Formats: sequence, structure tokens, C-alpha cells
Amino acid sequence: MLKAVFEWLDTRLGLRALKSVLLDREVPDRLTWWHTLGSATLAVFMVQVVTGIVLATYYSASPDHAYNSIEYIQQQVAGGSLLRGIHHWAASAMVILILAHMIRVFSMGAYKYPREINWLLGVGLFVLVMGFSFTGYLLPWDQKAYWATAVGTSIAGTTPIVGSGLVTILRGGGELGAATLSRFYAFHVLWLPGALGLIVAVHLALVVKQGIAPRPRALEEGAPPRTDDPAYPEYYRGAYAATKSTGTRFYPDIVGKDIIVATLVVVVIVLLAYLRGAPLEPPANPTDTAYVPTPEWYFLPLYQLLKLVPGSLESVVAVGIPTILMVTLIALPLFDRRSTRNLLHRPIAMAGLGVILGGAGFLLGSALREEGPDAVVAEVGRPLTSVERAGRALYQSQKCSDCHTIAGVGSDKAPDLSEIGLHHSAAWIHSFVEAPTRFRSDTTEMPTFGPPTLSHTEIEELAQYLASLRGKAAPGVRAEFHDTFPSVPPR
Amino acid sequence: MNEARRAFLKWAATIGSLFSGALVGLPTLRAFLSPAFRPPATKRWIKAGEVDQIEMGVPTRLDFAETVNDAWVETRALRGVWIYTEDGTEFIVYNGQCTHLGCSYAFDSVAKRFECPCHHGFFDLKSGAVLDGPPPRPLDRLETKVENGVLYVAYQTFRAGISEQIPVA
Repeated sequence: MLKAVFEWLDTRLGLRALKSVLLDREVPDRLTWWHTLGSATLAVFMVQVVTGIVLATYYSASPDHAYNSIEYIQQQVAGGSLLRGIHHWAASAMVILILAHMIRVFSMGAYKYPREINWLLGVGLFVLVMGFSFTGYLLPWDQKAYWATAVGTSIAGTTPIVGSGLVTILRGGGELGAATLSRFYAFHVLWLPGALGLIVAVHLALVVKQGIAPRPRALEEGAPPRTDDPAYPEYYRGAYAATKSTGTRFYPDIVGKDIIVATLVVVVIVLLAYLRGAPLEPPANPTDTAYVPTPEWYFLPLYQLLKLVPGSLESVVAVGIPTILMVTLIALPLFDRRSTRNLLHRPIAMAGLGVILGGAGFLLGSALREEGPDAVVAEVGRPLTSVERAGRALYQSQKCSDCHTIAGVGSDKAPDLSEIGLHHSAAWIHSFVEAPTRFRSDTTEMPTFGPPTLSHTEIEELAQYLASLRGKAAPGVRAEFHDTFPSVPPR
Repeated sequence: MNEARRAFLKWAATIGSLFSGALVGLPTLRAFLSPAFRPPATKRWIKAGEVDQIEMGVPTRLDFAETVNDAWVETRALRGVWIYTEDGTEFIVYNGQCTHLGCSYAFDSVAKRFECPCHHGFFDLKSGAVLDGPPPRPLDRLETKVENGVLYVAYQTFRAGISEQIPVA
């Protein structure tokens, strides 16, 4: 029965011929495990498509509802937080894998004749993947989403000449808002997947047509020194055919290894999703002055670099360096026509790769170190208002630091106040300072500062100052408010 | 390439793709089908009005707005019920949606019966029984209670089009 159905389909669709072209084709012998990175990237992309479609069915792309719909996914949808976790971790995995794949192709000189066009398509895919990341993390409309996008689009705005137009087009208006979210969503689920799917199809068709690039050594012995030598194509045909002489077939010899690696990657992604989930910060708050936005890890090297350069050079670095990198990647197969493929035989390429990876790694490392949980920013990072300054003077004159600590300065007899603004409002602090026993009958050490010790105006100044203290919470820690006022009115 | 290695790779390809497919596919499918697993909504007591304001012998249509959590949106949903009483103490309240396909039905004051305009379903005033037409079950009767002269109705919606009365999630 099954056989009959297959025969019926085969006579119409030519399934056997398709199988012999796609699966039974001969490939170069002794391909490395590094050759599995491209297909692993493809596997993760399929994970993103599947999980993304279901996330999209529950998501609402409007500032009023986006955050709530994400909370709905996390809390109400069965397995929703796992689903979101998979999408989140797979996004990182995809960036890692596509970079690793590019490094593999670069190191083995596989972008050289006849695969220049496929390299360029690959560069296009890399840009699209970064586009996915950038548009994707605005969608939850949480603090990180809002501020990272505010900063990211502002960077685009510093581009010479076209900058102001560019930022307006990216945001769909002058400021970040409903139009931005809607257009990022459209990019994330319509434009980019369409473009990526199309380029992936051509990329793969070319791999089938041109065959997988062999290990570098197979194409170096007796090769003309340059690939634009008229004799090179002839040499290449012969040398490439020789690599296929051992009868290695795409299925199962290559497919098996590809799927082993892809499965390991998927297991790691799902495990991370299960154990760590996807982060969700408090809802976007455009007026929050205490929030320190940091981008996703793959944008951190650039972010760190911006801290190191003087302001006048900012646009040169922020726009210039990525542009130079892109131009280099595009120019690479067009200008590098030496026929050596092994990285060890290409000192300039090796040095270039080393500098880029070393530099990016160094910047990433230093950015991650700075993010440590005990980096406390004592005050809010804006100039204090006059009221808050008066409060700070009172804090000093009343010798609060004899018992309390702010940002490591003071005594540890009483609670640390470095983050009190994250947990209590100025109104609560006012009430507490005025008469601590109202809140806790066991508070024996804390003096009562109500009149006549301090006037209500002074207490308010002190409270305003204390409420401004929002020592940077450790990543992932939510500001939790604990304001409960005593139900019994004061005497 | 030796055949044992080839057989292993074939096996790995099949098992690996099935395993990773399931690992991602099953949670995704579960999330997609999630609404089907939700418990039905509980009934809510709605204040219908002062008992002595409800006309006797004639059914009254009561429309009200309810604040509901519609997925991730808190919104106001419009609902309707029919209230009928003969003596001002015993109340019959029907959900305002026709049991056939969920249209709003009206009262025919000449024939003294409810009539659904969509597909001509007819219901008895006192029992809610189907008199004629396609509805699969009688009108959905709602629980009532009277407290301090105020009539409350336990509002609930039921699935249309089937003969069993099953609350909507």
C-alpha cells in the first residue's frame, strides 16, 4: 500500500531522481566536524520559525498590550515560559553558530573560487540574523527592550548625512513608540523571515550545485598561485573530482554528523530554556533615570568600545567599525585571489582574524566583568534636585552614616540604604523617619526624627534624597516595593 | 567508508531528528493548544436589579457590561440575560445567547415565546424548552438569588450548538 502510494507520487514528482541528486550525491572525503556548523545554524533557524510562529499567535504588537501579552505567555500559556526560553536561547545560539560557520569557511579558504557568491549570500544572512536580534528584543516592551532600542536607533542616527533620516525611518517617527513596535514586529516576522528564507534557499542550492568545499590541503598541491589564473578552473575541477573518489555520500555520511551536532545544540538550548527561561524586566518606563541599559551579549563589544572612545569620535566608531567590517567581509572573496586555502599559509588572513576575534573577545570580557552584581551606582546618575541636595546635607548633619551605609560609606550597624529607593517610596520613607516605631515596635536603635528634631519640610527633603538612591540591582533582580503604611493613625 | 559506521550514522540521523523534533515540537504544540487545557470560567454573581423594579408577567431583557480579563487585555464585555417572574419571588433567568449558534434572541409578545431571528428557533417562556427549529437544547437557565431585595444572577456562558450544557472556558 505504502509502496503503491510512493510509486504513484514518484511517477509524478520524480522522488527517486530528487533523492539521488540531493541525498546520494558524492561529497569530498574526510570532511571535518567543523563542516556541520552551517547545518546546525539551519536547524536552529527552523527552531526559531516553529517557536516564533506560536509566540506570534499570543503576542500583541502595541505598547499598551505587548508587555501584558508576554506576561500572559509566561504565566497563562501551557509551557509558554519554556517556549519563550527556547526562542530566547536559540537566538543566541544562532548568532554563535553563524559566526562559527563564517570563521570555519574563512579559515579553510572556502570562500574562494568558485564559492565567492555563496560567501556573499552568507554575509547577507549574517546581517539578517543580527537584524532579527535587534528587532526581536524590542518586542517584549520591557525596560531592556525600550532602552536598548532607544540607544541602538540613536546610534544609527549618528551616521553622517543620512543619520536623521535613518533614525526616523527605523522608529517610524521621531520617538520610540507604537509605530516603532509595530514596524519592528513586521520586520521580525514578515520582512526578515521572507528575505532570510529566500537567501537560505539559494545558499543551499549553491551548496548542492557546487558541492561542499573540501579540506584546504586537497586544493593546494600543484595549484596555480592565483585563482584568477586561466588555468585555475581546470586545476580546480581535477583536484575537486579527486576528493570525491572515495565514494563518501551526502546521506548518511554527512547528514548523520550534521544531525548529531544539531541534536546536541537543540538539547543545550532546551536545557537552558528549561533551567534559565527567558528574562523579562519591568515594563518599559521612559521616565526611569536609574535604569542602566545594556544590550544583548553579541552587541556588547561595540557597546564597550563606545565607552572607551571620546564623544567626538563616537559616530566614527559606532557606525564606522561595523561598516568597515561589513565592507571587508564583502570585499574578501572579490579581492583575495591567492589560491592558498589553509589558514597557516595565509599570514595576513590569520593576523586579521586574530585581531578581530581578540579585540571582540577582550571587549566582551571587559563588558561582562563590569556588569558584575556588586557594581553599585549610589546615586541615580543625574544631578540631584535642590530638594534632594538639601536632603543629602541633612543626612550628613544628622550623622545618619554613623549607623547606615550608602555605597560602601558609613557603618553597618543599621540597614544599608544604597538601594532603598528601589524598595520604598519617598512618602513611606517620610513616615518612617518621622516615627519609626509606627512601623516596627522593635525598632529601638533608630531615633525618632519627627518635629521638633526635624521639621516636616526637612524630613521630606531627606526622604526625597533617600528615595533617589537606587544602587544598581544585580541583573535579573526586580525592584520590589514594600510600602505598607501602618493602619493605626499616629497619635 | 565502512558499512558499520554508515549504519550508525543512518541510525543517528533518524533518532537525532526525531528526538530534537520532539524536544522542540512538543512544547511548541502544547503552547499552541494551550487554550484547550484551560479550566472553564467560574460563574460570577451579577447584580440584576431591585426585585420590586422587575415587571411581573413579562420577560425583561437585562444588558450589562462586565469587566473581564480577555487574555492579556482587561476589558468590558457586553452580556445579556432574560429575566422572567410571575410573582416577584420566583425568578427565571436565561442566558441571552441562543443555544443554537449563539445569536441574541428576542421575545415575541404576541405568541408569548422567545424567537431567535438567525435560524428561527423558538423557545417556551417558562421552561425554556425548544418549541420549534434547530436549537439542540433548551435555553441555558442561570442560578439566581435574592439578597436584601436585590436580585443576583450567576452569569455563565455555555457552548453553543451541542445538546450538552458545557461551560465555556
